[in-house]
Amino acid sequence: MENISTKDNLSEIITVNMGPQHPSTHGVLRLVVDLDGETIVDVRPDVGFLHRGVEKLAENRTYHQFIPLTDRLDYLSPLSNNLGYCLAVEKFFNVKIPERAEYLRVIFAELARAASHLVWIATHALDIGAMTVFLYAFRERELILDMFEIATGQRMTSSWIRIGGIREDVPPLFLEKLKEFVSIFDERIDTYERLLTKNRIWLKRTVGVGYLSKEDALSYGVSGPIMRGSGVDFDLRRDEPYGIYDRFEFDVPVREEGDIYARYQVRVEEMRQANRILKQALEQIPEGPVMTDDPRVAMPSHQEVYERMEALIRRFYLISKGFKTPKGETYACVEAPKGELGYYIVSNGEERPYRLKIRAPSFVNLGAINKMAKGAMVADLVGIIGSVDIVLGEIDR
Amino acid sequence: MGFESLLKELAGKFDSKINGYTQYGCNFINAPADIAKEVLKSLKCDYGFTYLVDIVAIHWPKKNEKFELSYNLFNVDKKLRVFVKVALAEPEFETVTDIWKSADFLEREQYDLVGVTFKGHPDLRRILMPDFFEGHPLRKEYGLKDRSWFNSVDEQNLGIKFTK
Repeated sequence: MENISTKDNLSEIITVNMGPQHPSTHGVLRLVVDLDGETIVDVRPDVGFLHRGVEKLAENRTYHQFIPLTDRLDYLSPLSNNLGYCLAVEKFFNVKIPERAEYLRVIFAELARAASHLVWIATHALDIGAMTVFLYAFRERELILDMFEIATGQRMTSSWIRIGGIREDVPPLFLEKLKEFVSIFDERIDTYERLLTKNRIWLKRTVGVGYLSKEDALSYGVSGPIMRGSGVDFDLRRDEPYGIYDRFEFDVPVREEGDIYARYQVRVEEMRQANRILKQALEQIPEGPVMTDDPRVAMPSHQEVYERMEALIRRFYLISKGFKTPKGETYACVEAPKGELGYYIVSNGEERPYRLKIRAPSFVNLGAINKMAKGAMVADLVGIIGSVDIVLGEIDR
Repeated sequence: MGFESLLKELAGKFDSKINGYTQYGCNFINAPADIAKEVLKSLKCDYGFTYLVDIVAIHWPKKNEKFELSYNLFNVDKKLRVFVKVALAEPEFETVTDIWKSADFLEREQYDLVGVTFKGHPDLRRILMPDFFEGHPLRKEYGLKDRSWFNSVDEQNLGIKFTK
């Protein structure tokens, strides 16, 4: 790559390559790092190793056929990705979603957030050297993935949230398991906090490292826990509520410090708030259908297809041809675990999107890594990457 | 400040050259290409749209103005989201990296995939596709199963082999 260059007589700038095959880059991220001794002078991220052309594929698939591809963006929280996409398509039709489906969507999205944050706390702590947290956090993540398996048949890539509602109602076992989970999750978060929050090594590695000011956080467009860790009080669930999030009581954690420790505190608190929302949703969830009966978008249920000729025709038509959206453009976004995940859909009045743009939170958040890492020690770079919480499936699309 | 009053103020400021509309719950502002950068700057400096969420480039080969940019802006204090749409005859527009730093990555991505050049961008390189890639995959003339580039790479002997 670049040659070793001498800036002046005193200091020698060395260019070091990190990744794409590196255990602490959380995927296939490559960083070209300029070092002056052990101090970072410049970081240039190189992405695209996992590029699959999802946006191009979207232009060649019907609206229903695109849902499985959204799972593969942020593969740690597939259900939030489904939700954002379905909300965007539903905006074209102004579909009324049944109550039970709305509650199940919230439950799935918050479980996905907890699962994603558990992977983050596990791998981030492992990167910095705290092995134990990894084992504890993955134990709880396993409980969540088991619940997903009970409800959707898949641990990951579940494609369960559909345009107009949910694919099928959850079995009673799911809600039982969920009740068990919400009753123990707060204690389990205490366990991680006992291992890390006042741990001297953890504090030394995180406090004051990877600083991002409030102005920079806005200017670099970072979203999610990084933004809130830098003192910007903003959460899409509260400030631009989608679905039924306005019915729940929850706090938005904000820290002013803007370092890795602040992001850690924000994410841990977010897990507690997710549990709080789950408890409320469990109390309020009503009985009823989980798929809208709006004939423009809704897929008829299996039962209907077996009994009624019209439903069979309708299902056949929706699967083989798809449905047409009216002309125009729309945008819907959700507060995904990593930040603002948005789908911008341009429709030409056909069965396929004319153009679909995915606003991936990790992609924009990675743009600020140079700002955060400049002036830090090379050993802290691993901690900074961990605190950004990137998923390469979403960056490269 | 709602969208209507913002639109009224902007129309007064820019001699009614801009217009806006609301569609499917999203607020859009149409700005002509020659004053679009000033409109964007004014939105950030005077109206508090400090957060540039996204830039989308759209290719319309059948229209007179073949390219369109859509800037997704958010006002964090007033919780207002607007989309500024700019229609372009040529795939070329001024950069907004001097207004928002997030435009760095976002403009590189649109340059890479749609082929819109942003004048004044400090480091306009490909970001998702390989550096030696030819063409822009999100242009409408680029077919979904177009393998011509992959085949030509074999001939150029760049040390990378793709199977057909």
